[in-house]
Amino acid sequence: MKTLKSTIALLAMAVLFISCGEETEDPQTKLGSSVAIEFDNFVGTSQVNLESEASTSYAYNTTGGQEFNLTRVQYYVSKIILTGENGEIFEDELQVSANADEIKGYYFIHESDNASKLIELTNVPKGTYTQITFNLGIDEEGVQEGAAGGILDPANGAPFWNWNAGYIGMTIEGQTSVIDESEFAIHIGGWKDIIPEDGTTQKFYNNVKTITLNLDVNMQVNSTLEPEIHIVTDIQKILGDVDFTATPQVHSPAVGRLFADNLESAFVVDHVHQ
Amino acid sequence: MYISKKRIQLPVWGLLLFVFGCQDSEMQIDDTYVFYQPAHFPEATYTLENNPVTEKGFLLGEKLFNDPILSRDGSVACSNCHQQGTAFADSQQHPLSKGVEDREGIRNAPSLANLAFLPEFFWDGGVTHLDFVPLNAIETEFEMDETIENVIVKLNKSETYRALFKDVFDMDEVTSPYMLHALSQFMVMMISDNSRYDQYLQGEEVLSSEELAGMELFESKCEGCHAGVLQSDFSYRNNGLDAMPLDSGRNRITENSQDWGKFRVPSLRNVELTSPYMHDGRFETLEEVLKHYNSGVQIYETLDPSLKSGISISDDERAKIISFLKTLTDRDFTRDPKFFIH
Ligand code: HEC
Ligand code: HEC
Repeated sequence: MKTLKSTIALLAMAVLFISCGEETEDPQTKLGSSVAIEFDNFVGTSQVNLESEASTSYAYNTTGGQEFNLTRVQYYVSKIILTGENGEIFEDELQVSANADEIKGYYFIHESDNASKLIELTNVPKGTYTQITFNLGIDEEGVQEGAAGGILDPANGAPFWNWNAGYIGMTIEGQTSVIDESEFAIHIGGWKDIIPEDGTTQKFYNNVKTITLNLDVNMQVNSTLEPEIHIVTDIQKILGDVDFTATPQVHSPAVGRLFADNLESAFVVDHVHQ
Repeated sequence: MYISKKRIQLPVWGLLLFVFGCQDSEMQIDDTYVFYQPAHFPEATYTLENNPVTEKGFLLGEKLFNDPILSRDGSVACSNCHQQGTAFADSQQHPLSKGVEDREGIRNAPSLANLAFLPEFFWDGGVTHLDFVPLNAIETEFEMDETIENVIVKLNKSETYRALFKDVFDMDEVTSPYMLHALSQFMVMMISDNSRYDQYLQGEEVLSSEELAGMELFESKCEGCHAGVLQSDFSYRNNGLDAMPLDSGRNRITENSQDWGKFRVPSLRNVELTSPYMHDGRFETLEEVLKHYNSGVQIYETLDPSLKSGISISDDERAKIISFLKTLTDRDFTRDPKFFIH
């Protein structure tokens, strides 16, 4: 109730400011410099090239030897944190908003748009960084903010489950020669654990994974250096030992979990441009 | 425990500040469209800080709620299945909801009273934020059978809607989050807090001895599930409707066998008006509901342990409980002109 009261009071203040045209903007203090993060999607050692939905050419193989191609690869990255050994820490600001321009800290990487694969962090305090941490998916904090715009807008292509509502953290779709209907779709979603009280197997999972990667170098950040972290995502590792004949369609947290458990090992820092 | 002050005074303060700050003594203070937290209710769960209710936003939400443009063939509005006279539940002729082309749904549309205070939505709790609820209605084939993308295209083609979204949210284009925010602004204002029961809690009304006896019976027999001022602990339970439940209920979300046939304990506010009852609208009267608890409970493995041998309710007790349940009817809410189509 307290929070509600103060929220309402704050809103009232906001109304006051807006209506009187007395907007004051905090001067942007530039703390440090920028760091870029690039995501590059691979299947094993081959870079991902998307095929059309009618394609029957299968460039890739699962580890179990099933041939497939990819028509869609997309995922959410959020809550990026950079840390260093001398207490350096940068936490990317997070904001969910109905206004697309005000969304902060949530990124939608999709293979069909090169620009989406490059994340630009600004105002990273100067220092030496050795680790990057991020979430793959949108966790409870993001979902429970309610309707959001831009990359989080289902009318604008955001992958979203209406029933069991929440964002699909990772989407992998394509065709395979091993099943008649050819299409497969692996949707990894679910942001909440519900543990059965009676001891039966849990089926409802939080499939948002926190991924921590060591940078291969001590990354220097200061006003003259703008480093770029190059991360490689291996779709083959995410698919793991999938058998498309048994699991061509994955649309629930319970089955998605089998793939979510592969996420951590699927991302590596390939190199850092200093 | 119950504070008699019904509305938090802060919104009014806010307006005063506004008036004072702008030296505009002409400002009228009208709290019709101000969201308030009834003092005796659980704290609002809705993210008002992301989407504060305004008069214009509410009115836009109301227009959307009543506009069949949200359905594929322009035949069904939210208000088809959620009508004010029945506390925004479905009309009594529709135990299962009817969508486009008269397609029959799988569940009974519940009342939309007090949504701002609920932790989860739908009979199975599949949605955890009010903003996301309408996506289901719009995209379910037996409801509105439309896509959210196309709804946005249609709204953008309408001069009227573009102008309204510009006016309310200062957006040049209609986008889905603002449409959902407008609907939520309308829905969170569906606060039903002025039944005779509420007035009684606040010391403003006297209940008859029959009603009071019913309240006591309700507290001893029903509060294990229908707890608190909204008559729900918002857990998911099997209250023994079927020996083999066909609708998997909560299991649809959690996929756990222990949740098969469990449904959210519904609030009983305005229950006098929301017949038929249960997730599939199988009972037409409160008498039938109470007879079910007394002698109709079916044993299935997920049946709530407290109902193993039913709840013994004599004819006399049944009448008393029903008179208590009727004190939960809030005519101020079902007749509140702010919800009339403007
Ligand atoms: C065809 C009938 C139909 C239409 C049209 C419809 N609803 Fe519903 N509504 C239902 C049914 C049935 C349920 C319960 C579904 C369930 O729990 O599985 C429901 C549930 C809800 C709930 C959840 C209530 C609770 O207590 O959890 C909300 C909120 C809601 N509807 C809002 C809307 C809005 C907004 C629209 C318009 C965009 C809409 N509905 C259109 C039938 C309908
Ligand atoms: C074990 C928990 C439990 C107890 C005890 C219980 N209920 Fe319920 N009640 C529920 C659940 C769960 C539902 C919804 C079931 C469904 O739709 O499948 C429900 C539904 C109802 C409904 C229908 C509401 C609607 O909108 O459709 C009424 C009325 C009701 N209960 C009244 C009572 C009364 C009166 C008592 C005490 C005599 C009682 N209940 C005891 C769990 C319980």
